[in-house]
Amino acid sequence: MHRSVQHNETLDRTFFALSDPTRRGILERLARGPATIGQLAEPFGLTLNGLKKHVGILENVDLVVTEKVGRARECRLGPAQLENATGWIDGHRRELERRLDRFGAFVEERR
Amino acid sequence: MTDELRLERVIDAPPETVFEAFTTYEGQVAFYGSDDPGWIVESQCDLRVGGLWTVTFGPSPDHLYQHRSVFAVIDRPRRIVLATTERRPDRPSFDFSVEFTFAEQDGRTLMTVIQSGFPTRELRDEHGRGVPNAFARLERAIRAST
Repeated sequence: MHRSVQHNETLDRTFFALSDPTRRGILERLARGPATIGQLAEPFGLTLNGLKKHVGILENVDLVVTEKVGRARECRLGPAQLENATGWIDGHRRELERRLDRFGAFVEERR
Repeated sequence: MTDELRLERVIDAPPETVFEAFTTYEGQVAFYGSDDPGWIVESQCDLRVGGLWTVTFGPSPDHLYQHRSVFAVIDRPRRIVLATTERRPDRPSFDFSVEFTFAEQDGRTLMTVIQSGFPTRELRDEHGRGVPNAFARLERAIRAST
């Protein structure tokens, strides 16, 4: 039970991390290759601290990893756990399928 | 591209029968039921536009789910549209829309369920813009279910 709660907290945090356009923009940028905090901040018109906050949220759910390179901090895409989100949708689909099967059988038996 | 789940079943009965069954207590309990021993399902339905339909279901009294829906459209025997809030013991509640359609097909009924408005739109919209492969997987999962 604790494990499943933990799993869902990760899912909630992943959805939250992806719910912000700036953070999605950061992921898009990093999909083209690594960038430093400063390089990321510039196109968004954000301060370094503002950008660090967004990167931190992405880092918490492994969407981004960072590494100190010389005096800068370099960001790369992380081993994102989006299987969680995918699995959640699949679970919903299976629930609905099962309900339709049961309801169809109920109506047909009742005739 | 779509953020909806869409499922279909052909049921061997005319739409009037299927629609009627779906709006009875027994039909709703069948829809939300399970063969698991001890499964709980309760339904309270005020079948009118603006009326509330509440279904509580789950494997045990300390692990219950709830769908609280308001009827937005009732077009007997063709269509029902609901605005639903789902409460689960394991995560925050969330809202989505559900549309049920009942189409006549050679004396049988093609019943379609479309759920939309999941909190995945943001994820899906990123597909094709060079964001991680995971977005493509999410997109495929959604497409596979439509």
